[in-house]
Amino acid sequence: MLRFVVRRLLLLVPILLGLSILVFAWIRALPGSPADVLLGERATPAAIARVRHEYGLDKPVYVQYFNYLKTTTSLDFGVSIASRRKVTEEIGTRFPATVELALSAMLFALVLGIPLGFLTAKYYGSVGDQVGLLASLIGISIPIFFLGLMLKYVFSVKLGWLPSVGRIDVTRDVRHPTHFYVLDAIVTGDWSTLVDVLKHLILPAIALGTIPLAIVARITRAAVLDVQNEDYVRTARAKGLSPFVVDERHVLRNALLPVSTIVGLQTGLLLSGAILTETVFAWPGIGTWLSEAIFNRDYPVLQAGILFLAVVFVLVNLVVDISYALLNPRIRYS
Amino acid sequence: MSVAELEAQEIQLEAPSGLWRDAWYRLIRNPGAVVGFVLVAIFVACAIFAPLIATHDPQETNLLLIVKGCCPGPSRAHLLGVDQLGRDEFSRIIFGARYSLVIGIVAVSVGLSVGLVLGAIAGYAGGLLDSVIMRLMDIMLAIPGLLLAIGLVAALGQGLWQIMVAVGVVNIPIFARLLRGSVLAQKENEFIVAARAVGVRRPRILVSHILPNAIAPVIVQGTLAMATAIIDVAGLGFLGLGPQDPGTPEWGTMLTNVERYFQSAPHLALIPGVAIVISVLGFNLIGDGLREALDPKLRGRVGRFRQRKMLGFLRRRRTAARGA
Repeated sequence: MLRFVVRRLLLLVPILLGLSILVFAWIRALPGSPADVLLGERATPAAIARVRHEYGLDKPVYVQYFNYLKTTTSLDFGVSIASRRKVTEEIGTRFPATVELALSAMLFALVLGIPLGFLTAKYYGSVGDQVGLLASLIGISIPIFFLGLMLKYVFSVKLGWLPSVGRIDVTRDVRHPTHFYVLDAIVTGDWSTLVDVLKHLILPAIALGTIPLAIVARITRAAVLDVQNEDYVRTARAKGLSPFVVDERHVLRNALLPVSTIVGLQTGLLLSGAILTETVFAWPGIGTWLSEAIFNRDYPVLQAGILFLAVVFVLVNLVVDISYALLNPRIRYS
Repeated sequence: MSVAELEAQEIQLEAPSGLWRDAWYRLIRNPGAVVGFVLVAIFVACAIFAPLIATHDPQETNLLLIVKGCCPGPSRAHLLGVDQLGRDEFSRIIFGARYSLVIGIVAVSVGLSVGLVLGAIAGYAGGLLDSVIMRLMDIMLAIPGLLLAIGLVAALGQGLWQIMVAVGVVNIPIFARLLRGSVLAQKENEFIVAARAVGVRRPRILVSHILPNAIAPVIVQGTLAMATAIIDVAGLGFLGLGPQDPGTPEWGTMLTNVERYFQSAPHLALIPGVAIVISVLGFNLIGDGLREALDPKLRGRVGRFRQRKMLGFLRRRRTAARGA
């Protein structure tokens, strides 16, 4: 097990190196330089030269790359050109926002998806099963941003039940020890803020969670159908165990194995792919940060941000693989 | 005619009804897939015959129509109302199908062809080449798809071709992995070993023995990729990275600023969204049906629907007996 983990960690090194080259090369390929963005069109050549020197853009490309590598490995990502704040600092406030959103979306998907998948499998072939299958297909066919817009229209504009943008009411003044607003509110014991934060979370979480919901429901259904016909389930039923015990202990517990893999992979995707949801709901997370950075040619943010997301994604996948090995003793990694 | 000859004829008659014919029969008996075909047929028809179906020029603005506020809903002259610049929404939706279809097809073709070549080479050549290609694919997969597409559009500049390439590139590693997997699975099959033993050259083995047998999952994936491509293209359009001319009737771009008119004209948000859902759902339904139809585990069985009808009674009795 340990050897498996170590080997997987070592495999990360070439991937990360390749990724850093790719990101670096891509950023150089972007039209327009940060000097243009920073200084506007009528900048004097001297000012441009100064900015280029300040960001090390006047050195040869390979020197720039090694500088980039050196600063990256020491976790010094520099200062955002747009906001003039340290990139690491911004990740510190932006990433919790995205994590909070992604975890809420996953929670939504699991709480609804597993029972739904289980029930449709139990009543395989029934009208309910057919409706469930169709619903899950529609679920993966709706663009996130369209679903987000519709949710906003119905629950914010028409019914006025829920707020439509941001993480928290702007008039609220609260402390953020962790930048996970739900945690912050609980830690500081500020219950009205907690309610406000949760209200802000609901719509984006549903919008982001709908695709994982559909996928979780389908995988659960397929897995339950598979497990249901296993010999040990038949044996359990034959020896007179109550149907509930068989379902809970023999069927569901084994059926959740493939579900756990999907959950891990989807969480990784949610963490990194929330750009559209964050845009629709003006969620101050990593996604909006990066898409703004692309428009602003914010090199330090792009270099750090994309690399950071990719590392998170790769690490989540690693955790998924390891937990899968732990959950399923039949798999042994030599 | 001898008995042997008759038998041979029978065998020949059976031979062509192999995987594909079998799959086709199962596909057209699957109600979901049929609905999918209908949806996609409508989508494609709209795209091809757009100038005939549309009632107005999709780019023609008519500010007179919105002097009384934005935006008038459906009427006799404008079947789905007009948008914030007085353009006919119905005609824009119909012409929008063109963009989605063409971008989708080109994007999937780019991803599929490059991915197939890379995957086939990696799987068949093995060794260092395999490692290099697949590590490159891993790196591409480590960047979230939409972010990669946004990044490519940002680097290449805005425009139709750039979007197609960007969405296509995102698909490359998916197809490469898929094909490498099936090539590896095929490679040690007896008929491949036999072909090698009689001296068929390696490229020839790859093209005429391995690829035809590895193609089924690629077709399924291709159909599903078409659905994802339409969504991704709309997503890029929504983020403002669509075709350069903002007047282009692209579905995602049409959704960009609709929020401003939520109070008076919610149909501006609803209609393009529904158009996207319908076309994407069509491809997803076909893809799902294909996956079931081409699944070798299900080969030779009757259609799912009829089978379920036949077994329904038995199953109900069984469950009743179980007390479940």
